[in-house]
Amino acid sequence: MSHTPVYIICSPRPLVGKTLVARLLSEFLLLKDGTVTAFDINLKEPSLLDYLPRLTETADVDNTFGKMQLMDRVIVNDGVAKVIDLGFHAFDEFFKMCDEIGFMKEAARRRVAPIILFMADTDRVSARGHDTLLQQIPASALVTVDNEYVLRGELPVAFSHGRLLRVAALPAFLKTYIDRLTFSFTNYLRNEKDASTELNQWIRRNYLSFRELELNLILQR
Amino acid sequence: MAKPVVIVVGADKGGVGKTTVSRTLLDYFSANNVPTRAFDTESPRGTLKRFHPEITEIVDMTTTSDQMKIFDTLNAASPSVTVIDVRAGLLSPALASLRDIGFLDAARSGQITFAVFHILGPSIASLDEIAETANFMQGAKYFLVKNFINDTQFFQWDQATYNSYFHRIKDATELTIPKLNEMAYEQVEVASVPFLKFVANKGTADDAANYSFVLRGYVRHWLANVWSEFDRIKLTDLVGVNKANIRSGEK
Repeated sequence: MSHTPVYIICSPRPLVGKTLVARLLSEFLLLKDGTVTAFDINLKEPSLLDYLPRLTETADVDNTFGKMQLMDRVIVNDGVAKVIDLGFHAFDEFFKMCDEIGFMKEAARRRVAPIILFMADTDRVSARGHDTLLQQIPASALVTVDNEYVLRGELPVAFSHGRLLRVAALPAFLKTYIDRLTFSFTNYLRNEKDASTELNQWIRRNYLSFRELELNLILQR
Repeated sequence: MAKPVVIVVGADKGGVGKTTVSRTLLDYFSANNVPTRAFDTESPRGTLKRFHPEITEIVDMTTTSDQMKIFDTLNAASPSVTVIDVRAGLLSPALASLRDIGFLDAARSGQITFAVFHILGPSIASLDEIAETANFMQGAKYFLVKNFINDTQFFQWDQATYNSYFHRIKDATELTIPKLNEMAYEQVEVASVPFLKFVANKGTADDAANYSFVLRGYVRHWLANVWSEFDRIKLTDLVGVNKANIRSGEK
């Protein structure tokens, strides 16, 4: 049986595009596999639950019971890809727990493949968070997301060594358009006949990046 | 023939984690392939026996017949290590009994290796026991175990108080048992298995269990910290075991 991917989208900073990437990735996986389970640990920011209520469950890492409810589901190799939208406030506690309970080791044993998508930012908190992850996560499982809307093309050198996933910035009017709660990336691709529109190309480019990311991970195994 | 080793785990105060520490010791010896037997003095119930039924016997240390059962078999019994989990309030009387039957003299003369794990609670009353217990400690290895069952500081914020207790006895070695996540602790209680089996996701009869991965992770992390303390005090050297032995449970 092949590995079950678990994508963890994270940053110790708010408003860096975590939920946007989680939405894109969840919709991509749903389109590709026909199923996906998303977990929202991001209730203090724009929330994945608001955008994808049918796919998303809320989770909590403030207490042991919440951790059990989340991690005991995530560690199962059931062939259903998981997406975790990890809020900035839960960053430290989540990775501290992962370290303590030996999540990466157990995941490898159970053929579950965690992929950490770290949303880069230029501040010191992000640099420190990235350092923490470098110590815990194998380089092959850590991907830095260069969100052009946040970084404006100035990815700090410290983040540029490992694997990168680039998300291009959208013009403000399109940003507002995709921020509507009823907007679906896949539905847009299906319904928009003109494949040359900027948004169409942006979505397809991001879906392609996810597919490349997945292929790289398969090839590494 | 190897020198018999007797480890007494006790405190005069209840609820400070004596049985928990005894359980970690039994797991540690099991993982280091040290044959061990245990006596649970919580007669007639016996919490330790619930977790380690194969190697544990319930005894009443105040009776002569049970004292004979423990100490007259030290040389005859095949396991070289005997762990005695002494019921709350019985530590000082138990040590007095050991003195009376000449056991402490035997330890002093080197015929027996004798160690006491004195579990301390977060109160001055608990610390007051140190002086009382210390009177019996000649010839014994004396370990003062700070069991962090809650967020206590053991008066470390008040150096004068701390020193007056912890530095009173020269040869005592301090040992720290970190706090285990409450839910993880409760889950092991419910499972009624040794910590090692819980980590390995096994039931009482070595059957496959379905414990929470998160809780198993917390127990594994905690147990590794406790064992690193046992490694630090060279517990395997104390019981005369070559450290080159493979630690079977640490996978």
